[in-house]
Amino acid sequence: MNQTEVPKYDLVVVGAGPAGLTAAIYTTREDIKTLVFERGVVGGLAAVTDKIDNYPGFPDGVAGLKLADDLRLQAERFGTEIELGEVTAIADEGTYKRLSTTSGDILSKAVLVATGSDYKKIGVPGEQEYYARGVHYCATCDGAFYRDKRLVVIGGGNSAFQETIFLTRYASHIDLLVRSTIKASDVLQKEMETYIKAAKVTVHTNTATEKIVGNANGVTEVLARQADKSLSFKTDGVFVFVGLTPNSQFLKNTLVRLDSIGFILTDDHMQTTMPGIFAAGDVRSGATMQIASAAGEGATAALKIREYLEGRPLPIQDEA
Amino acid sequence: MTKNVTIFTTNTCAYCQMVKKYLGAKGVGYEEVNLDEHPDRQAEAMRLSGTMTVPVTVVTKQDETQEVIIGYNLARLAPAVAA
Repeated sequence: MNQTEVPKYDLVVVGAGPAGLTAAIYTTREDIKTLVFERGVVGGLAAVTDKIDNYPGFPDGVAGLKLADDLRLQAERFGTEIELGEVTAIADEGTYKRLSTTSGDILSKAVLVATGSDYKKIGVPGEQEYYARGVHYCATCDGAFYRDKRLVVIGGGNSAFQETIFLTRYASHIDLLVRSTIKASDVLQKEMETYIKAAKVTVHTNTATEKIVGNANGVTEVLARQADKSLSFKTDGVFVFVGLTPNSQFLKNTLVRLDSIGFILTDDHMQTTMPGIFAAGDVRSGATMQIASAAGEGATAALKIREYLEGRPLPIQDEA
Repeated sequence: MTKNVTIFTTNTCAYCQMVKKYLGAKGVGYEEVNLDEHPDRQAEAMRLSGTMTVPVTVVTKQDETQEVIIGYNLARLAPAVAA
């Protein structure tokens, strides 16, 4: 593809989660030519979450898949283009940034990185070996394989609690292993009490997973440690929800500064240390990992990107 | 040439929606086996993929050879249905 054939945009949004799609709603509504790139699922982690109870405007909660689809439809209504593929590198060429993608090069005046985060792995023996054969990271995808079977869920935050509750519709019993103390919200803990009382779920705090054991047919048990006690949990499968890791690897050779974990540093304008590159949502250092916050950050980024495109360069602040 | 495509899905699987959307956008017809509605076909999905996950997309070619694609994997799905 030669230079003249490279498509040009005002804004390329990398990632079609709540932050990216919200930004696209704002920018396309103001006729800023916007392309959204998504390598995975439109809606991001929100789309694979069973039920979202704390996003404003849904008194009875909303299925993650439904929220994701509605965000997409809203963005497309204003003219957002969504391309399924991956951005692998970004280079600064002055007015335009050149994005290398799986569909070829693209030039864009501004870029919003809204790639979010993925669920972390726990890094114990057996985790990789039994991946998708007993070890899973998506309850809404793989829970159906565990009808009337025993499960172990690992994690103590909101995701672990929410997904455990979802999995009770399939599993006969779930052992929830929490490495230290419970971090899930009071609301989720209260909801969980119903399942504990019904003997569907047993919560084990201060219980560190040490090994996932199995055979040719899949996972059979999880070995764990509780203080000086070794424990064994017989199970047919394991679901892991132990926090998030940022999707920022493709920025490693750019001027975009990352924090020690890999989250993107920005200033109050959502601007990164590379002029014209903005970041919003779960991939941003300091993000609250909430869908409502991601949407808000997407809106803020869109407004600041508009100023940038209008030729009002935003000062890079010390925080970035 | 592709003869037929079968996708094993569940009701709540977002990645399954992505596979269906991709095939729809490319004009590729497919049969969907929803494992929430047909749990009796779980073993078939597991046998074909060697995993307990969805989506599982089975692309059968004219010569009856099969390509099995696990998850929403565009790098494998796109060429498999393009041929």
